[in-house]
Amino acid sequence: MTRVRVVGVGNPEAGDDAVGLLAVRSARADLEALGAEVVETGAGLHVVDLLSGAAAVVVVDAVRAPRGGRAPGTIVRAEAGPEGLPAEVGSSLSSHGFGVAEAVGLAAALDDAPRVVFVGVEVADVTAGHGLSPAVASVLPELAARVVTEARLLSAT
Amino acid sequence: MTHRQVDVPVIARVEGEGALHITAKDGEILDLRLEIYEPPRYFEAFLQGRHFSEVPDIVPRICGICPVAYQMSAVHGLEELFGVQVSEGTHDLRRLLYCGEWIESHILHIFLLAVPDFLGMHSAIEMAKDHPELVKKVLDIKRIGNDIMEVVGGREIHPVSPRVGGFSRAARKRELDPLLPRLEWALEQMPGIADFVASLPSPSLPRDVELVSMVHPSEFPMNEGSMASTRGKRWEFSEYEAVTQELHVEHSNALHSLMTDTQTPYHTGPLARVNLNADLLTPVAKDCMARAGLTIPEGDPFFSMAARIAESTLAIEEAIRIIRGYVPPEPSMAEVVPRAGRAMWVTEAPRGSLYHRYDVAEDGTILEAKIVPPTSQNLRHMEEDLRMFLPGVLDRPDEELTRLCEMVVRNYDPCISCATHFLSLDLQRV
Repeated sequence: MTRVRVVGVGNPEAGDDAVGLLAVRSARADLEALGAEVVETGAGLHVVDLLSGAAAVVVVDAVRAPRGGRAPGTIVRAEAGPEGLPAEVGSSLSSHGFGVAEAVGLAAALDDAPRVVFVGVEVADVTAGHGLSPAVASVLPELAARVVTEARLLSAT
Repeated sequence: MTHRQVDVPVIARVEGEGALHITAKDGEILDLRLEIYEPPRYFEAFLQGRHFSEVPDIVPRICGICPVAYQMSAVHGLEELFGVQVSEGTHDLRRLLYCGEWIESHILHIFLLAVPDFLGMHSAIEMAKDHPELVKKVLDIKRIGNDIMEVVGGREIHPVSPRVGGFSRAARKRELDPLLPRLEWALEQMPGIADFVASLPSPSLPRDVELVSMVHPSEFPMNEGSMASTRGKRWEFSEYEAVTQELHVEHSNALHSLMTDTQTPYHTGPLARVNLNADLLTPVAKDCMARAGLTIPEGDPFFSMAARIAESTLAIEEAIRIIRGYVPPEPSMAEVVPRAGRAMWVTEAPRGSLYHRYDVAEDGTILEAKIVPPTSQNLRHMEEDLRMFLPGVLDRPDEELTRLCEMVVRNYDPCISCATHFLSLDLQRV
């Protein structure tokens, strides 16, 4: 079994939605040095498969607060409980109605969840063809460092 | 007098953002608009000026759920234009890849999105608490579909090995063989799963419809064939833009499709495919379709879930057959020399017929691209379904009405399924 898996979720062609992918990409060398397995995936629904076979999983994705009001670029961290991720994390812009939050909730409902740490970034713009918005681009280095820290903590436990 | 206005605004991922607005008065629908914003328009522009060899890497990014469909419509169309003949092994491997996508997409849709609706539950998470063994089982089946796509297409965000001319790297027999016992196990589960689906209480919407899909003389259509409708029409891929017509509608960024001759909407997708290709279903798929309660002909969109059961089973049976007889294509790529002209092709995405057209210059540069996805073809039909279905249920409480709207839209497994999942119902009474 893998000890720590780090999953970056996103669409590389859709503005801030790429942020999860970009974060794990830039942290890949550090993460692999820690012995973590690094996976990039294009759709939240694949996360349900990526939660098995690991003791702990860090999921990095773009999010949107449930009723807005969170500044773009805000980094959100949450740990999954028996009911999955807390609702205030917001929708991880899930594809086809089944995203990271649903995947984690489903694994929790089946008593099949590893320890899951979710690191999200509030998005500004997810338009197809756009790059990262300035607000999100400016937190990318901090986000990547945060992901490495989370993976290090999970590796040590 | 009751005047209800139901607004279903939504936030969705890149597959599309959409909303459903309904205004009703005295049980009559005054206004109904399904709004959707789809990404292919951007990708059509993005493809202009690219070399044809880049197309298989660009188009799968349009949809996280059906990347294979986008690749397959593109590579087959370009190969036909360039006069490329691919080997039998390449044909098989592409069909296997598509089987993986059908298994994953259909099982996901049936159990994680549709069945909770039919059970009156809020989500698959709620369902997992009541039916944990079933949910574990279907997740294992879904994972087989995903693993087929990884072994054949490459372990990346999108499949990377499909090329115009074949595969950059063809899967080896020993990579595919470990999938066999898992597929055989999955096939054994399908009749019981079909029985479960048949046991679900379902609304009905009997209506006279025109169903459209590919047809093929000898195999259930995925990558090759021609077009047909249940009204007896037959046409080639090259006639697609003449036989069907895209209509710009003010309330939607997506275009709505109509049959050109009758100016009426049509329905593409699994229900259309099994209606037009019932004889080509594999043995267990036929049995599972009957168990799920679907008899052909059937136009009621609420039978789409039973059609997905039949097709998931078919995809499992076909994957088993292909892997057992698989001989890797050697070489894995045919030689490709571009030529100027127009490429037009359709393949069957999990959610329906996906048309691509490319105008190509002599050196292989894409001059213009056109993509007609199944969701936009079905949009007008979905609106009609809602108009017909809603008057009978308008007296239901808000929450139930919302759920019923979701179910009607979800029959089509649109790329806006997400759109109807995070509902925040805004109801106004005057």
